[in-house]
Amino acid sequence: MLTRTWRKFCSSRIGRSIFRVGLPGSDLERARVGVSSFLLHIQPVKVQSRSLKFRTTFGLGLILLYLFLILIVTGVLLMFYYVPSPELAYRSMKDLEFVVTAGMLLRNMHRWAAHLMVLGVVLHMCRVFYTGAYKPPREFNWVIGVVLFLLTLGLSFTGYLLPWDQLAFWAITVGANISSYAPFVGEKVRFVLLGGNVVGPSALLRFYVLHVVLLPAGMAFLVAIHLWRVRKDGGLARPAEPDLIEEEFAEFELPPEKTYGLMELARGSSAAVGTAQEDTVFSWPHLVFREILLLMLTVAGVLVLAIFWNAPLEEFANPAHPPNPAKAPWYFLGLQELVAHSAFWGGVVVPTLLLVALIMLPYIDTKPDGVGVWFSSQRKTAILIFSICLITMTVLTVIGSVFRGPNWDFTVPWHPNVEEH
Amino acid sequence: MQLMLGWWAAVFAISATVAASVRFMFPNVLYEPSLRMKAQRPDDYPDGATFFPEHRFFLMKNGKQFRAVSATCTHLGCTVNRIADGSGFRCPCHGSVFDASGAVTSGPAPKALAWYPVTLSRDERLVIDMTRQVSPEEQLVV
Repeated sequence: MLTRTWRKFCSSRIGRSIFRVGLPGSDLERARVGVSSFLLHIQPVKVQSRSLKFRTTFGLGLILLYLFLILIVTGVLLMFYYVPSPELAYRSMKDLEFVVTAGMLLRNMHRWAAHLMVLGVVLHMCRVFYTGAYKPPREFNWVIGVVLFLLTLGLSFTGYLLPWDQLAFWAITVGANISSYAPFVGEKVRFVLLGGNVVGPSALLRFYVLHVVLLPAGMAFLVAIHLWRVRKDGGLARPAEPDLIEEEFAEFELPPEKTYGLMELARGSSAAVGTAQEDTVFSWPHLVFREILLLMLTVAGVLVLAIFWNAPLEEFANPAHPPNPAKAPWYFLGLQELVAHSAFWGGVVVPTLLLVALIMLPYIDTKPDGVGVWFSSQRKTAILIFSICLITMTVLTVIGSVFRGPNWDFTVPWHPNVEEH
Repeated sequence: MQLMLGWWAAVFAISATVAASVRFMFPNVLYEPSLRMKAQRPDDYPDGATFFPEHRFFLMKNGKQFRAVSATCTHLGCTVNRIADGSGFRCPCHGSVFDASGAVTSGPAPKALAWYPVTLSRDERLVIDMTRQVSPEEQLVV
């Protein structure tokens, strides 16, 4: 029924002017729809069937893209009610919760999608690392990925202040003070970030502008390059094709006849020369339908979270009384745990070293071993080092999240915390 | 020899724009509590510690002696709590503990809490100057 109506529309004069091809019925049309539609031409006409297997990527990159879209849509809607000034910001939060139709739901969706995005970026990075997908020629796309990771944290951190509640105020106070430990420029960075010496109206306005304009624009720009490069670098990383040319001749099997046209210029020599026929399928419908399914699942997942769990909102920010314990956002709690021992080491040295190591990784580890294979046995050292860092940060984050109580004393999650003042 | 004047002009114009934009981000006027604060008369405060939430310091009164100590933790800027028996201060964020003189006794704080000079204005009101620091022993006797 739906299909029939669509076909009818596409074959009408107006429909043809918009969609050109309509619902493809033959391979020729499947190829044509791939290049004639703006949205579909972003992906190749044919993709490796290996890339479509769920366990190749767990769909993490796509899920992140969808979470970003959800965040843009819900974020823009929230902007209609939010005012970035200390007195009004908290009131707009209350309005969204109790007065605005679906305000609470949108705020919840925005909050949970943001948390999921931080988690997703980490998992996506793990996937790329453990499958060796950052190796040449994909080095620079890994670097862009690291910058996208930082932008995600920056977006999340700037968004954290906007409700102007106790949680927001103290997380940003602590976070901004960490930057003042950076050598030489630390105090200046803190001053320009907050637009003053304390977290006040100018800090809120600055965080707002960063959160709704600068960082999302940078993110959208880099996401576009990130996706474009995935394709230019030859699609998802996969093991080198076995050279089957002898076998082909031995069996006297001629590949099916194909005609070729110049579609684009890609790096290196043509991959098709001297190799067996590739195991590819048409993007329409194989890739496109999986993408749509994943989009629906992502939206449904965020919606379920938003319906059953409310985003926290504490009391109005009070500079005189930090909550006890005052905690940064969860993804910074590993760092806060380190900072609790030494602000300079935990807040500056360790994060800087980790970041430099992440950016340098594809330029240090360039051997083409184990590309496209999960936990390749040829990459034991690299996997060991990465895993140790990952596990350490995870353990620190868990300790900071649930094992730290009032006065940052060690506690157990099932212990009832009595707040002392 | 090519001077490449056009390119140099472009480099200069871009650098100047970037420099001006960076300078633009540093505000010249701050809408924040003043760092010199005029409090009430000495008799208006009880013995012991009085907390000033906006400026975040404790005014300590002992009979006729006045001192002022910062309530901002030197670690990451949380507001410290005074321990109930007056034996010192405790930061709720990362567990730094300071003794009654503001010195660090445990925790990650890198230095002692700051003490500010307390003076008397002409109209006999207390003035706390948070732009300067003094030793914990220095006090105003009225």
